[in-house]
Parts: sequence; C-alpha cells; structure tokens
Amino acid sequence: MSVLATNTPRKGSLLAVDDRTRRRNAAERRFQIYGRIAIGIAIAALAVLLFTIVNNGASAFRQTFLVLDIPLEEKVLDKSGTRDIEAMKKVTTIGYGKLIDKALQDAIAAQGIAVEGLTDKDVKNMISKEAAGLLRDRVLSQPDLVGQTLRAKVLANGRIDGYIKGRVSYESAERDSNVTPAQLRLADALKDAGILSRKFNWDFITTADASELRPESAGLGVAILGSAYMMIVVLVLSLPIGVATSIYLEEFAPQNRFTDLIEVNISNLAAVPSIVYGILGLALFINFAGLPQSAPIVGGLVLTLMTLPRIVIPTRAALRSVPPSIRDAALGIGASKMQSVMHHVLPLAMPGILTGTIIGLAQALGESAPLLLIGMVAFVRDFPGAPPEGFFDPAAALPVQVYNWTQRSDPAFVERASGAIIVLLIFLLAMNAVAIVLRRKFERRW
Amino acid sequence: MSPTVLLAILVLLALAGNLAGRRRALAVSGGDVRRLHSLTRYHGLSVTLFTAVPALFLFGAWLFVQPLVIEGKVSRMAALSAVSDAGAAELVMGDIRRVAGGLDVLAASEGLSEGDLASLRVEEGDLPSRLAKAGVAIAGDISADVLDAAREYRRLTHLSSVAMTVAVTAMALAGLFWSLRRLTPDYRARNISESFVLALFIGSALVAVLTTFGIIASLLVESIHFFRLYPAQDFLFNLTWNPQFRGGSDLGIWPLLWGTLYVSFVALTFAVPVGLMAAIYLSEYATAATRAVIKPAIEILAGIPTIVYGLFALITVGPFLRDHFAQPLGLGSSSSSVMTAGLVMGIMLIPFVSSLSDDIINAVPQSLRDGSYGLGATQSETVRQVILPAALPGIVGSILLAASRAIGETMIVVMGAGASARLDLNPFEAMTTITVKIVSQLTGDTEFASPETLVAFALGMALFIFTLGLNVLALYVVRKYREQYE
Amino acid sequence: MAESANMNVMRQTDRDTAMADVKIDARGVQVFYGDNHAIKDVDVEIGDRMVTAFIGPSGCGKSTFLRCLNRMNDTIPGCRVEGQLKLDGEDIYDRRVDPVQLRAKVGMVFQKPNPFPKSIYDNVAYGPRIHGLTRNKAELDEVVEKSLRRAALWNEVKDRLAAPGTGLSGGQQQRLCIARAVATSPEVLLMDEPCSALDPIATAQVEELIDELRSRFAVVIVTHSMQQAARVSQKTAFFHLGNLVEFGETAQIFTNPHDPRTESYITGRIG
Repeated sequence: MSVLATNTPRKGSLLAVDDRTRRRNAAERRFQIYGRIAIGIAIAALAVLLFTIVNNGASAFRQTFLVLDIPLEEKVLDKSGTRDIEAMKKVTTIGYGKLIDKALQDAIAAQGIAVEGLTDKDVKNMISKEAAGLLRDRVLSQPDLVGQTLRAKVLANGRIDGYIKGRVSYESAERDSNVTPAQLRLADALKDAGILSRKFNWDFITTADASELRPESAGLGVAILGSAYMMIVVLVLSLPIGVATSIYLEEFAPQNRFTDLIEVNISNLAAVPSIVYGILGLALFINFAGLPQSAPIVGGLVLTLMTLPRIVIPTRAALRSVPPSIRDAALGIGASKMQSVMHHVLPLAMPGILTGTIIGLAQALGESAPLLLIGMVAFVRDFPGAPPEGFFDPAAALPVQVYNWTQRSDPAFVERASGAIIVLLIFLLAMNAVAIVLRRKFERRW
Repeated sequence: MSPTVLLAILVLLALAGNLAGRRRALAVSGGDVRRLHSLTRYHGLSVTLFTAVPALFLFGAWLFVQPLVIEGKVSRMAALSAVSDAGAAELVMGDIRRVAGGLDVLAASEGLSEGDLASLRVEEGDLPSRLAKAGVAIAGDISADVLDAAREYRRLTHLSSVAMTVAVTAMALAGLFWSLRRLTPDYRARNISESFVLALFIGSALVAVLTTFGIIASLLVESIHFFRLYPAQDFLFNLTWNPQFRGGSDLGIWPLLWGTLYVSFVALTFAVPVGLMAAIYLSEYATAATRAVIKPAIEILAGIPTIVYGLFALITVGPFLRDHFAQPLGLGSSSSSVMTAGLVMGIMLIPFVSSLSDDIINAVPQSLRDGSYGLGATQSETVRQVILPAALPGIVGSILLAASRAIGETMIVVMGAGASARLDLNPFEAMTTITVKIVSQLTGDTEFASPETLVAFALGMALFIFTLGLNVLALYVVRKYREQYE
Repeated sequence: MAESANMNVMRQTDRDTAMADVKIDARGVQVFYGDNHAIKDVDVEIGDRMVTAFIGPSGCGKSTFLRCLNRMNDTIPGCRVEGQLKLDGEDIYDRRVDPVQLRAKVGMVFQKPNPFPKSIYDNVAYGPRIHGLTRNKAELDEVVEKSLRRAALWNEVKDRLAAPGTGLSGGQQQRLCIARAVATSPEVLLMDEPCSALDPIATAQVEELIDELRSRFAVVIVTHSMQQAARVSQKTAFFHLGNLVEFGETAQIFTNPHDPRTESYITGRIG
C-alpha cells in the first residue's frame, strides 16, 4: 500500500497538466521534430541533388556558335570543277579550316573590331578544331554548295564557350595556355556584333563523343544508341526468361529442394553487387566466349543477368495476385494446367509484369559499374552498325559516357556530364511514367 | 554464312514446320478435326518446337565452343609453343585474331582471292601498313609464325562456320520431318508441346542457378590463378596495397577493406537515423495526404542511378566538404574523401532504410499500439518502447541489407572516395575501397595474367562473400521477424 | 507556492469523489466517424466501485462509446465526439485535458490479449515507468508484484518474470494485460470484450478477477455475452443502433426490461 500511496500526488485534476506530463509532451514534440528533420534532410538532399545536376548540365544543351559567311571557293575545294566527290575528298580539313579562318578575319575587319594584343593564331583558335571537319562533311554531302558563300553556324572553341557561359574568366584566362584574355575581349566584341551567340545544340544529343581537346563538339549519339541496343538485348532476353521462370516457380514448381534452390538463388542474385556481374561478364563473355569488348551485346547480356531477378520478383507477385478462382474456373471446364496459365492467368498478370519489367529496364539503363569492366569506357567515335551486326560493334553507354567525361581534365566536360545525366534522367522519368500509367490504367483489385 | 542468316533460316523452317504440321494434322484427320486428339494448332506448335529448339541449342553451343576449339588447335602450332607464359600467349593469340580479321578486311578491300592470301609473305614487309590502311592496327611486326597461325585460324573458322550451318540446318530439318512423321490423329500434340514448353520454363528457371554458378566459377578460377602467382597469406595479412607495373607488388587487402568499411560506416551513420526517423514519421505521424507526397519523393532517391550520385559527390559534395570543413579544420585538401563518398552514399541509402523500415513498422500489429495508448503512453513513448523493440529484428535486417548495398556500391566510391589505399582514421582523407580497385585493376593497362590484374578477382570474391553473408543473414532475420506476427 | 496550489486542487477532487458515487457522467454524447453517426445522444452514469456492463448486438456502438471514455477514439482519424463526458466532474474532452494523463486514470483492457513483446516484468512495469510512478527499483518491483497478484497471475509467473509475455497462454496473457492496466493504479478500468478470445476456463478466471477488481475501481465491461453481463455486473446498459436503449440495475434489465427492444435482445429475437 505504501507504494501506491506515493502515487497519490499524481492524482490531481485532469484539467491541470502536471510537470511530468508536460515534460513527456515536450519529448513527444521533440520526437516529432526529429521526424520532420529527417524527412527534411531526405527531401533537401533530393532537391539539392537534382538542382545541382540541372544547374550544371542545362547549359550543355546550348552551345556558343559563330555565324559566319564562308566563301566556299571553288579553286580551293574543287580544283577540277567537276564536283566529283572522290576528287573533292582530296581536300583535307586544313583547307576548309583556312576558309573558316578567313571568314572570321573578314567578319572582324568588316565590323571594325580592333582588339589589342590579338594574334592571328588567337583569332584562329576562337573556332573549334571540329568546325572544319563538320564543314567538310556538309560540303561533301552537298557538292553544289561549292562556289557559293555559305552562311553557317560554326562551333566556337570550348574555352570561348566557357567564357560565354561564365566558366572561364579573365583571371583564369591569364593562367590558361589554351585561351588568352585578348580572345575573350574579341568574344565580347563579336557577341556585341551579333556574330557570336548561344544557340540550342541538337548535336549534343546526336553526335559522337569528341577528343579531350574538343569538349564543344562532344555528343551523346553513340552512347544513346549503345544504351538503346543494350536495352533491346535486355528486353528480348530478360522478359521471356523472366516470365518463364516466374510461371514455372509460381504455377508448376513442386515444393522440393530443387525449387528452394532456385528461389534462394534468385533472392540472392537480386542483392549481388552489380560490379560482380561485370566480373562475370568479363570472365565469361569476353575471356571465355571470346565476344568483343565494348560491344552492346556483352553489355546487354551482363545487364540481362543482373536484371533477371529484379524482373522475376515483381512478375511472381503479379502472378500471385491473380486469384485461384480464375485458375479453378479454367481447369473446371477441362483446360489443361498450361492452358489455364497461358490463356487466363498470364494475360491478367500482364500489366503487373510489364510494369515490373519497365522498372527493371530503367535500373539496367542507369547501371554503369559492370559496364566499366567489359570495356564500355573505351573512347568510341564511330556509330555502331544496324542491328543485329551492330550489337557486336563497339559502342558507349549513357551512364558510362558520364563517367568517361568526368575523368577528363577540361572542366567543360563536367557540364557535358551533367547534361548527359539530364538526358539519362529524362529517359528514366519517361520509363517510370509509362510504368505508373500502366499500373494506374490496368490495376485491378480482386 | 553469317549467324544472322542462319538464324533467319531457322525461323523460316520453324514457320514452315508450323504450317506443315497443321496441314498434315488436317490431312490425317480426313478433314474432320474432331477426330484429332489435339487441335491443329498444337500439332503445328509441336512441329515448330521440335524443329527450332534443338537446332537453336546446337547453334548456341557451337558458337560457344567454336572459339575454344579453334584457339586450342591454333595455339598448338609453332607460334605459341615457344611462349611459356600464359599472359604472353594471350597476347600472341590476340595478334593472331587481329591478323586473321585483317586478312578478311584485305580480301574485301583489295579484292584479294584466297590464293593471293595464301601467297602473302611476311618478307614483303608491307603487310602491317596494308593492314593499317584497311583499318586493322597491329603493334610491331608480324612474324611468319603468326601469319601462318592466322591463316590457319581463318581456315578453321571458315570451315567451322560452314560445318555449323550444315549441322544446324540438318538438325532443324531432322526435327521437322521426324515430328511430322509421328503425326497421327491420336498423336497427343497438346500434351507433348505442353511438356516441351514446361521443359523450357524449367530451363529458364535454371538460368538463375547457372548465373550463380557462373559467378562463383569465374571468381574462383581466376582467384586460384591469382593465388598461384601471389601468396594468399600476403593478400590476407599484408597491410600495404601498392601494385607495381613490373612485379614486386604489395597486394594486401586490408587498406581496401578498411576504406570499404569506413565509407560504409559513414554512410550508415547518416542513412540509418535519417531513414528510420523518416519511416517512423511517415508511418506514425504523417497524414495520409502528406504520406502520399513524401513517400514517393523519398523513393525517387532509390530510382536515381548511382552514376548521378557519383557526379554529385565529384562536383558538389566533394568540393563543398573540402572548402568548408577539411581545409578550415586543417584535415586535408582532397575533395575526394571517405566523408564525401560516405555522405553521398548515405543519401542513396535513405530510401532503402526508410522503405524497408516502413514496411516493418507497419507490420507491428495495431493492438500493440492500442495497448500502449490505453496505458497512457504518448505516441513517441509507444514508438520507442513498444514499436521499435517489436520491430527491431526487422529493422536490423534492413540495416544489414543497406550495409550490403554500401559495401558493394561502386560508382559513388570510384568518383567520390579517391584511389589511394591507406589505413587512416581521418575521414577527410581520400581512401579507396574494394570496388574501386576492382575497377582500376581490370580497366588498367596491365596484362591480364599478371597478379596486379588477377587480384581483382580475389577482391571480387571477397566482396561476393561479404555481401552474400550479409544478405543471407538479413533475409534470415527478416523472415524470423515476419513469422513472429503471422 | 505551486505545491500548495496543487494541494488545493487535490483536496477539491477528493471532496468531489467523496460526495458523488458517480465516477463518469455522460450527457448527450454523440460520436461521428466522418459522416457516420455512430453514437446518438447517450446519457449514462457510471458508478464508482462497481461493474457496469455494456451489452448489445454487434455494431451497436458499445465499444465506440467505451473508447470515448479514455479518448482512445482520438487515435482514429475522422472521429468526432460531442456532448459532455465528465470524470469526477471534470470534462474529459476539455481542451486543457491531456489524453495521456486521462488514460493513466482510465485504463483499458482489449478484446485480444496484446502483451508487448517484452518480458512479463517489463510488460507490467511499462505503465509505472512511463508515468514515473516509482522512485526506485524496489518500489517498481513492489508495484509489479502487487499488480500481478491483483490479476491473480503472480503464482503462475513469479519464477519467470524475465520470460517473454507473448509466451503465456491466452488466459494468462489477458490477465497479464489486466495486471499491466492495474499497475498504473487507474481509477476506472475499461474492458472491451476481454473474454471473447479466451476459452471457458480462462473466461471464468478473468470474470472472477473482474469481481475482485470492483472493490478498488470503477469497471466498465463491454460484452457480447449476456450471461457474462449477468454474472459480473451490477449495472447494465443496452445499446442498439447507436442509441442507449435502457440503463439500469443488471437484475432489473435481465428480469424485467422496460423497453421491448431490450426484451427482444435478451430473449434472442434480435442480435
């Protein structure tokens, strides 16, 4: 009784909150605040992550161009005057480069721009080293242009682009051997004259990668195509194999050790680090089977093995969600087990299966670690051929291209890498949106 | 003949088989399909399956075995018998393959006949430049032996390719006619094709087993190679990691293991409290509307590819930590550091911890909450003293899973943690991890058969064992927990 | 200064309790779940130191009303309570009332035994710990023992207080839950069909226990079983479709109901 007697002071009025309750309520509020802080940290991390990437990468889609009137002189480009492509091919990019340089010199002279301490070499270096090659390709595809004066967009040098985008400043130019302050002043003057401007740059998405010294012309074309090839391989292989595995395990497999073995395997494979799949790909597909390095087929196979368990798990869930009464109904009118599955259960589970597959593909699309090991980091300038042979040609992959660019010293590639991530995220977003729409549209509650 | 054409032939044969099967079924039934045991389409299907599947298997197996057999034969030729070292043999083999490919290109670009190719001589000296012109770069000179071997390689490849075409087509045709001959009105085509399909299903299910087997085999075989070249006790007990180009490397796993565990520790120290508190808030406090917005937002973090986190570490978090913490505190001047990689990985792990914990907290029965509220406990007291202890095994399981992700994560540490292997406590110092070194040793320029490259497989083995152990443990703990409330 | 104010308040409450035998006084209570009007205008007086039984068919609102008495309905989103509910003359839905403090006074035992996944000892000690009822371990031990004795469980578990509470049998678990509720020394004990998950022997034990608890607390029990109500309660309230149909002495309700609906229910025609 003595103990309970000590309790009595607590038995005050309900209307007066005692000290202890006040303390407990304060602890309650603190706990809630911790929860809010945790949520805040998570959301803030997401926001900062996306913001910095978009902030760094958005400018990759706009590039600095010089709009020049380039006289395509016949005596330089086509001495024979026959417009014979083979003959014209003899003129190298140097010839075209000189034409562009001259066009720029003329433009500067015509505008009356005078910049102190500007050498001819500085003027020449205002233009991307890629520009001559691009012009040559254009002329060779349209030989009729020769003899005319072409008003063309010409890529500016990466450092000039950097200056326009605020990455390069006069201070940094002093220390930089690739750009001089005089060039920057010239850039300002050209910008005021309307010759130099920033324009949307489709080439970033469509062209191939470029060398270390030409960040301004590096594009994602090969990487996007390589990733697309790999996704085709993954889809073609993992969807049928994944669905077949799931149907077997969910509908046919007897309860025995063999089934257990498969199930344990699948759940463990889903958690094996992705880089281990890269090691497997290197050892099995490249060293043992002799498939080529950097090929989308190898990347696709590795990603297939990695994606399979991630497709099997949602597929089995989708099959399981089809109620047994459907199976019973089919069996009851004399359908075989296989018929009941193929005619009724599988079609009903299809939306769930497709949703799971798309999400699995999206994960595979963003995966880079295993691809590093099978040589997808290699510098690839040529587009792979058309499928199916193209599956064996060297190609890049979107996420690996990002990694590749981050390994280069020119800070312009950081912008490119962030831009590539924006492209990657747009693809992922689209895929997930499709998955969500599928789920919303076909979701069925039994 | 290219594999694509062969594949097209197989598809055509399969289609033809299907039609023929249906036709024949109709014919043997005397025009009355009711006399058949199975529908005509099952007859068609069974012919298709017997035509295509065995031939496809043969096709695949041939493609797989062909390079092994041919390279085995070629390597027994003079060119390689002089080379004892496995790595050098691999290089010579690579040369042979490239020259063989080059000869093909030459034949196409210069219009050489087979006879011209056979009469090519190394002594003429212009072969490398002609090959280079055709787009095949060969380092150094081509020896007569290599040229001969390459010619042999070409011959065998062509031979094998012809043989394969014949064999695969024959197999398909045999299957087609055999199954057509068996076709009678009583033929149980449906049962047979269903068993066939079921066998294919079982085969698909075996892919998972084969993958595991493949992983273990490839890790094991190359690890054994490694341990033949480099003593296992040095790998396990040496405290330095210092690979050298020309032998004498120190390849102790400890600095890498330390880096891995340190980064994972930092990541979990960040992710576990945040993820757990977020899960608690979402499942116990948040209104349905808040939950519907916040939960998917947090899960977006799980859908972002790790390369994005890697870039975030590289260009944002790394420089930020260096400029605002490491340098002012005098702790270092490196932007890649354990802290950088750990924090970014922590962000990546938040959704793993939170969504798993959320499920587990929701699995705690409402009656326990009621019991606690009924005694006058506040919500936080209920969470801390009833729900969390009840959910503890499940939460531990989810933390173990997160730890396994952290240990196996590659891109974030490759781009955020640095490459210098050291045993250090300073979290603002660059350190390296097992995964980073797997990447750098396998993408480097060292030759494949050297211990410096092969060590990657031993590291992969260690990684595999670690993560597998953690996963098995986690699944076991979570399953035990689930049973408790079922 | 604060202490003397406290003392005054205390004396005030003591006097109220002494004056009235009514522990809980409900006037015009309405409960809504969203748009659903679950309890309609209920008036009830629950007496101290006696057992009041709520009976009625499923879904009649008896459990809902019970959960109003310690504001357990607060945890259900969309639930709204109107009218007046007074515990010792103080409105328990007053804005100043902290439900946590209220529930320490009005304990509750649930339909399904719900021991926490902790040891037997920790289960019983949970309430005293969170409310800070004891100053040291010895006192806590004493409270635990006393509560277990009061719940007639002490002899069965005294040798395994560290064993998990979930390992006990169903009847023992329910008595453990009662001990857990008693340990906070409440003034009212609410029981929501406490025997519905138990076998007949365990039910008999719990009923016996309820009869003993009556000497210290006001006990309110919701039950499906009319026999149980007749056995353990002194007063009975019959609920039907959210209305309180009849409230009176148990003997009177079962032998001579005034309302035809009560009679129908008792004789088995509705329910």
